[in-house]
Amino acid sequence: MLRSLQQSKLFTVVAALMLAATVVFSLACPLQAYALDVEKCTARANQDGGAGVLGATETRVTWEAQADASESITALTFTLPAGTTFEVEDTRVTQLTGEDLMDREFLDAECTQSGDELSIVLDQPAAAGSYVRVEIYGVRFPAEGGSMVLTGTYQLTDSSVHNLPDAPAIKVIALSVPEQISNWLADQSWVQAWNSVNFLHLFFDPTIMATSFPVVFSGFLQALVIVAIAFPLAIPCGLILAFMRMSKLRILRAIGTTYVNVVRGTPLFLQIYIAFFGLPLAGINPPPILLGVVVLAMNSSAYLCEIFRAGIQSISAGQFEAAASLGMNRAQTMFYVIIPQTVRRVIPTMTSEFILLYKDTSLLAAVGIMEVVMYARTIVAATGSITPYIVAAIFYLIITLPLAKIVGNFEAKLASKDGGTSNKKNRKNKKKDQPQKVDANDDQGITPAEISSL
Amino acid sequence: MTDSTDTSTQPIVRIENLHKSYGDLEVLKGVDLRVNRGEVVVILGPSGSGKSTLLRCVNLLEVPTSGKVFFEDTEITSPDTDINEIRKHVGMVFQSFNLFPHLTAKRNVMLAQEKVLKRSKEEAERVAMEQLANVGLAERADHYPSQLSGGQQQRVAIARALAMDPHVMLFDEATSALDPELVRGVLDVMKSLAREGMTMIVVTHEMGFARDVADRVVFMDGGVIVEEGIPSEVFDNPQHERTKNFLGHITLK
Repeated sequence: MLRSLQQSKLFTVVAALMLAATVVFSLACPLQAYALDVEKCTARANQDGGAGVLGATETRVTWEAQADASESITALTFTLPAGTTFEVEDTRVTQLTGEDLMDREFLDAECTQSGDELSIVLDQPAAAGSYVRVEIYGVRFPAEGGSMVLTGTYQLTDSSVHNLPDAPAIKVIALSVPEQISNWLADQSWVQAWNSVNFLHLFFDPTIMATSFPVVFSGFLQALVIVAIAFPLAIPCGLILAFMRMSKLRILRAIGTTYVNVVRGTPLFLQIYIAFFGLPLAGINPPPILLGVVVLAMNSSAYLCEIFRAGIQSISAGQFEAAASLGMNRAQTMFYVIIPQTVRRVIPTMTSEFILLYKDTSLLAAVGIMEVVMYARTIVAATGSITPYIVAAIFYLIITLPLAKIVGNFEAKLASKDGGTSNKKNRKNKKKDQPQKVDANDDQGITPAEISSL
Repeated sequence: MTDSTDTSTQPIVRIENLHKSYGDLEVLKGVDLRVNRGEVVVILGPSGSGKSTLLRCVNLLEVPTSGKVFFEDTEITSPDTDINEIRKHVGMVFQSFNLFPHLTAKRNVMLAQEKVLKRSKEEAERVAMEQLANVGLAERADHYPSQLSGGQQQRVAIARALAMDPHVMLFDEATSALDPELVRGVLDVMKSLAREGMTMIVVTHEMGFARDVADRVVFMDGGVIVEEGIPSEVFDNPQHERTKNFLGHITLK
C-alpha cells in the first residue's frame, strides 16, 4: 500500500518534472510553426467619415488563421503592441467551416488578460485544420499611431506551443491633439450630460467642436488668402471706375456706369456661377482659387467705385477751387488734395465693404473652393451635427466683429471732428483759441460737371 | 515792391464786356474793368450783384459766357491758354478759407510751391515759414486747420497764396465768415499787403477797409458796374441813386 503510494507519488513527480521540462524547453526554444497561416488581421475603421483606423479610439480587431490539417488548436495568446488597451470579456472565437467558410461555430473559451497579453484557452480543442477567427473588442491602439503587428503563440493538443506567424500589420493613424481632446471630452460626464440635450448636441457638441476647429481653420486661412488678394486688387479697380464715372468723356462715363450697374444689379452668386461654368465652356480653365479671387475683386470694385465716388464728391467744392487757384492741375489736385481727404472719409465704408467681401467668400463653396463653409459642410455631412457650421460662424465673427468695432470707433471719431489729428499740446491751444467750423454753406459737395470745369 | 503812385500805365487785369449766365439767370451783364499794377481795387455791392462772380472770372474759376479777360498780356478766356500757368500768378483767398484739412499750416503753404512751382522742399519750407511769420503764425506752423481759429486759418490761406509770388491777389469776402473779433487780424494783413504795393482786387463788405486802403472803389449792382472812383468820391459824393441807397443802408446798419 505504502509502496504503491510511493510509486504513484514518484510517478506524479516524474510526470510533473517532465511536463515542466517540456514547458521550460518550449518556452526557451519554441518550435517554429510552419503550418499555421495567418490569413487576416484587421481593425474596424473608426474614423469619422473615413476608412482609417485611428489611435486611442475604440475599434475591433479581427484575426483569422488557417491551421494545418494536422493541427488542432487548444489555446492562443496574443501580444498586442505596447500601449494598446482592450476589453477581454467580449472576445469571441469562431470556427469557420464549409464552402466559402460560411458556416460559423462559436467556440467557448476562457480569456484572460495580463498586461498587453491576451490569453485564450479553448474549452474544447478546435477541429484539426480548422479556420479560426478571433475578434477582440474595445481595442484602443496608442494615440501616436503607427504600424501595429499582433504577435503571439498557439498551443496544440499535443501541448506543443508554437509562435504565431506575424500577422499583416494594421496601419493606425496617429491621433491629432484636437482628436485626443475630443476623445477626452467624450469621456467627461458633463459633456455626456450636455450632449444628452438634443439641441446642444446638434448645434454645440463640444467633441465635434474640438475636431472641427483645426479643419475649418484651414478653410479660414483659405478665405483670408482669397480676400487678402481680392480686396487690394479691387481698390485700384474701384478708383479707376470712379474716375471713369466722373470723367468728362461720355464714353468712359457710359462704360463705368454700365459696369457698376450690371455688377451691383446682379447677385454675386450668379456672377460666380457664370464665371466658373462659363469660362471652362469657352475653353478657359484658370485655377479655381485665382478665378474666385478675380470674380470677388471685380464684384467688389463696383461697390468700391461708388464708395470712392461718393467720397470724392463729398469733398467740398472749395477744396477743388483752392487747389485750382494755386495752379494745380487735375491730377495734382486729385492726388495731393482730394484723395488724401477722401481716404479718411471712406475708410469706414471701405471696411464695411471688406467685411461684406470676406463673408462673400462663403459663396465660393458652391463651386468647390475649400473655404470655411465648404470644410464645415464636409464635417457636417460626416457627423450629422450642425456644430461645424457654428464653428464656421465663429471664424467669420473673429474677423467681422473687431472690424465692425473699429468702423464704429472711426465713425465716432469722424463725427466728433472733421479732419486733422490731435495731441495733447494741440488740444491745449484749441481751448485757448476756440476754433470755429468752416462755414456750413461751403459743404455742398460738387458734381462731376463742376469737377471737370475746374 | 513797386511804387503805388505809378498805377495808370500798366493794366495787369483787363476785363472786356464780360457776360456770365447760369441758365436763364444772367449774373454779369457786360462788365469792363481795368486793374493796374500795384492798384488796390475794392468791389462793393449788395448780395447777388455779381461781384464774387466777376472776381472768380479773373482766374477762370467761373468760365464767362462771353467777353474777354486779359491777364498781363495773355487772353485767359482763349481756349489756347493754359489756365494753370496763369493761376500760378493769381493768388486767391476765399470766404471759407479752403485750407487743406489733412495738411498742417506749413504743409498747406508748401504744397503748391513744390508741385506747381517745382521748388525744392527746403526752399518751399523756407518760404512757407517766412510767409507764416509775415501773417503772425510762425508758431502755428505745425497745427492742422481744425486746430486753428477762423482768423488764423484765413491768414494761413493768405500766406499760402502769397508763397506763390502772385502778381495779383483776389480776395473774395475774406472776412465774411469770421467772428467780428477775428476780422481785424485778417484786415491788418491785407492792409500791410496793400502798403507793400501788391495788386489786389477785393470783394468785401468792410467799408472802413475800402475807404482806408482802396485806390479805387467799384460799386456793382444787378450785374453791371454802376459807379467807380476813388474812395472819397464814391463814399462822400455818390453819383448814382443805387450807390446812395446801398451806402445809406450800410451806414444805417
